[in-house]
Amino acid sequence: MTAIAVDWTRCDGHGLCARLLPEKIGLDEWGYPLVLDPEIEPHLVGAARRAAAACPALALRVR
Amino acid sequence: MTVTDPVATAPSHPFGAPRLLAGVAAHRALTWAEHRAVHGVPALRPRAWLLESLRAVNLLGRGGAAFPVAVKLEAMPLGGPMTVLVNGSEGEPASCKDRALMTVAPHLVIDGALVVTHALGATGATIAVHDHRAHAALAAALAERPDAAAVTLALTRAGFAGGEIRAVVNGLTTGLARPGGRRDLPHDRGLDGRPTFASNVETFAQIAVLARLGAAGYAETGTRDEPGTSLVTLVGDVVQAGVLEVANGTPLDALLPGRPGAPVLVGGFHGTWVRSTAGLTIDRAALRASGAPLGAGVIARPHPGTCVLAEVAAVSQWLAEESAGQCGPCFFGLPALAEDVRAFAAGQGSEAQLLRRASQVRGRGACAHPDGAVQFMTSALVALADDIEVHRAHGTCGRPPSSILAIPRRTS
Ligand code: SF4
Ligand code: SF4
Repeated sequence: MTAIAVDWTRCDGHGLCARLLPEKIGLDEWGYPLVLDPEIEPHLVGAARRAAAACPALALRVR
Repeated sequence: MTVTDPVATAPSHPFGAPRLLAGVAAHRALTWAEHRAVHGVPALRPRAWLLESLRAVNLLGRGGAAFPVAVKLEAMPLGGPMTVLVNGSEGEPASCKDRALMTVAPHLVIDGALVVTHALGATGATIAVHDHRAHAALAAALAERPDAAAVTLALTRAGFAGGEIRAVVNGLTTGLARPGGRRDLPHDRGLDGRPTFASNVETFAQIAVLARLGAAGYAETGTRDEPGTSLVTLVGDVVQAGVLEVANGTPLDALLPGRPGAPVLVGGFHGTWVRSTAGLTIDRAALRASGAPLGAGVIARPHPGTCVLAEVAAVSQWLAEESAGQCGPCFFGLPALAEDVRAFAAGQGSEAQLLRRASQVRGRGACAHPDGAVQFMTSALVALADDIEVHRAHGTCGRPPSSILAIPRRTS
């Protein structure tokens, strides 16, 4: 199973990931990503990888 | 209690005979000769022996996380260059037990470092310490003995998140005492990038005792699930303020005589406020299961007639400022939470808001600081519910603020 995780030492709270993967990522009241569910179903793996690639801080990891 | 008077040694031993503090009578270090008269020379054992014994006595790490030491040892590679880190940074501000141990029994800590270094075939051990008095005691002890050339001493900077082992590793390796990402674990990338067996100073002292006594002897005191003794720091209205060595299984009520139902903080600045200690004992698994983990061994009870809520607000403020600022949810969330706590002390505040914010901070940082801080604040909300009501009704409880937890002065 593919899963996502945020490296908090890197994340700058750009919120881009929440826009690219709204099914799995929301934002908290300070603009940082709230991972609603780390497990990524097959049909969302592409979107998850795109979100990780778009993260300017290289903080979103897909495993 | 102050660090200049760290060890409270009772003439009789109502909580079991001391082991780590055996032979300690004055507030000074045992000399090497005195130490050998009590403990002999370090019992160097093969890796398999040590692993088996650690498992048999279920030794849990004494830095706060209570991780099984056997599992940590087993995770080390079977050969190749590796090193040992003895963490004496004592990150928990309310705890004095590590400093006390290093100051009065430095040779036992060194023995433990030698036992682990030998068992692993490691290149050497580094003892990281930030307290100057403990550093001096260890330096003198190392100078006194010819068998500890493999042990070096490093003076680290004080700091709360800095006390975490991964932060100490980063501090010693890169000069930046803060935790890296979650995936840098010392057993595969530690000091200078080498596999590192890292644990707290008390863990090493316990290992030295275990190596000498063997599992059966070690298990003659304590409980079946957690044999042995523990160092605890007792603060405030307690049986005896200071550092105490107690047999595992000692009831908390014995350490906190009278006043059942008074608020008690278990675990320190990252700890849990509880309202009843009935049935609780010094037993890490049981305390964790009860929702109040022992952490670094701090047990604190405010004095009667003081405002505990005011102290909780002050500590929360400090916890918020202590965020290393690396991780957004911690850096923004903890100050917001501390403000929520302050509002309760001022007779206002919203429980729902505090709990919602707590859920947004918990588990969302590179180190254990935000989780510990959230635990401190949310448990206070529950344990001090009646005080909160009084404050809400009158704006204050009219009592002077409790101040048993010495808030460290910021160094940076
Ligand atoms: S895109 Fe990257 S930096 Fe931005 S919020 Fe998401 S994880 Fe954080
Ligand atoms: S969680 Fe907080 S204290 Fe820990 S590294 Fe991140 S910002 Fe620093």
